[in-house]
Amino acid sequence: MSAALQFLKMVTFWELLKGMRVTHKYMVKPKVTELYPDVRPVLPYRTKGRLHVEIETCISCRMCEKACPEGCIKVFPPPKEVFKTDKRPAEFYLNQEHCLHCGLCVDPCPTGSIHHSQEFELVVFDHRELLFDRERLPYDLDQTRYRWNWIENVPVKK
Amino acid sequence: MNENWLLAQIGMPLLKILILLVPVFTVVAYMVWFERRVLGFFQSRLGPNRVGPLGLLQPVADGLKLLLKEDIVPANARPFLFKMAPVFSFFPALVGFAVVSWALPWVSPAGNRHGFVIADVNLGILLILSLSSLGIFGIILGGWSSGSKYPLFGSLRSASQMLAYEVPLTLSVISVVLLAGSFRLSDIVAAQQALGWYFLFPGLVAFGVYIVAAVAETNRTPFDLPEGESEIIGFHTEYSGMRFAFYFVAEYANVVLTSVVAAALFLGGYDIPFVKDAALYATHPRLVSALGVCSFAAKGALFAYFFVWIRATWPRYRYDQLLRIGWLVLFPIAMANLVLVALFKLWLLR
Repeated sequence: MSAALQFLKMVTFWELLKGMRVTHKYMVKPKVTELYPDVRPVLPYRTKGRLHVEIETCISCRMCEKACPEGCIKVFPPPKEVFKTDKRPAEFYLNQEHCLHCGLCVDPCPTGSIHHSQEFELVVFDHRELLFDRERLPYDLDQTRYRWNWIENVPVKK
Repeated sequence: MNENWLLAQIGMPLLKILILLVPVFTVVAYMVWFERRVLGFFQSRLGPNRVGPLGLLQPVADGLKLLLKEDIVPANARPFLFKMAPVFSFFPALVGFAVVSWALPWVSPAGNRHGFVIADVNLGILLILSLSSLGIFGIILGGWSSGSKYPLFGSLRSASQMLAYEVPLTLSVISVVLLAGSFRLSDIVAAQQALGWYFLFPGLVAFGVYIVAAVAETNRTPFDLPEGESEIIGFHTEYSGMRFAFYFVAEYANVVLTSVVAAALFLGGYDIPFVKDAALYATHPRLVSALGVCSFAAKGALFAYFFVWIRATWPRYRYDQLLRIGWLVLFPIAMANLVLVALFKLWLLR
């Protein structure tokens, strides 16, 4: 019986046919290719894209500036008289060109004013486009495409 | 020599050649697209899909790219042979299509019958076999005249490969010819129609041998020894631009031709499955002709898909392994099958 089976397997090239079955399974499976410009990728929740700063809630504490290993954040608090009532920074420089996307500035922020957005398309023709100041910081990000929000440092235990 | 004679002997074949060449070139060009696309599917990717819808303009883009490339002739090459070698490969691949019968004759409104074939010669299948052997000379010449050692080795592998597959290929075809009683492709199809089933059943072993030998003949994986696209360096290393494209077109034309011939020999060619062709042909001749072409094309596409499938699956053989398979496995099998088929014909198909 076993010998007959073996003979049958030999004349039908059974092992080769098995290989063909395997490859054909992959033929009908869904493909792994990402059609990136046509179909937007679904990014993970904790994606570290371009930094987004909420100037309105910032209290000019300069914690992010101290935390930044690249020194790409510069915060200028407003004059003392103004600071008593309005703590928003007089000027906020963000050099996205040097940013490591390390997230160290996000951790110490007491008000959660700085965090990563999901924008990852940071290619520009002029590197000055990556230098942000107070005027350009609340740039017009499309919330549906690049959502940004306060992300807990530690994954939430469920 | 009156005008009618000229029209029948020269005008009509020329017209048929024109009518045939356009679809054949289109099919050959889209065979490349088909293979890349399906091969991509086998490898969990999508294949070329950027040029035009579904990547359908990819062959045009490839052709343009190759046309615009520089045509390099190496300093060590023998220029005349180097330039002629792709033509030697290209020409036989196309001539083979002349003897393929594509459908039952077209009946014009005036009642004239025009065969769906350029030259319905009575040694059609032999012509195809001999021409495909000629095509190998293009490969051997190309590698040899390149004046480079790696293409020369590719040519050597091609020569040894030809020794391996020619005899089993011919023997497997001979068993079909024995069943049909004719070398003419339209007769072979007619014999299958008369028999009522395709030669796939009585010629199952011959079919297997033919497939293996045909893959070797078209220089495709697992027997792409002369080319060795993935690892070893092949015979067209020194070729560039349009001459390289000629080799490629020749290869794919060979694939299409082999698929079509396999469909004609073993799957009933232009016979429409599950339909009594002869009865329907008497009442609706043009419908049968048109459907016959479609049926033929579908059967050929089946083989083309099969060729891509095995390319996506099996690794390459060494050329000594191919020789061993050809002479120690395929040749005895084909020979024994030939005897069996002869007995089958003698006792059962009288």
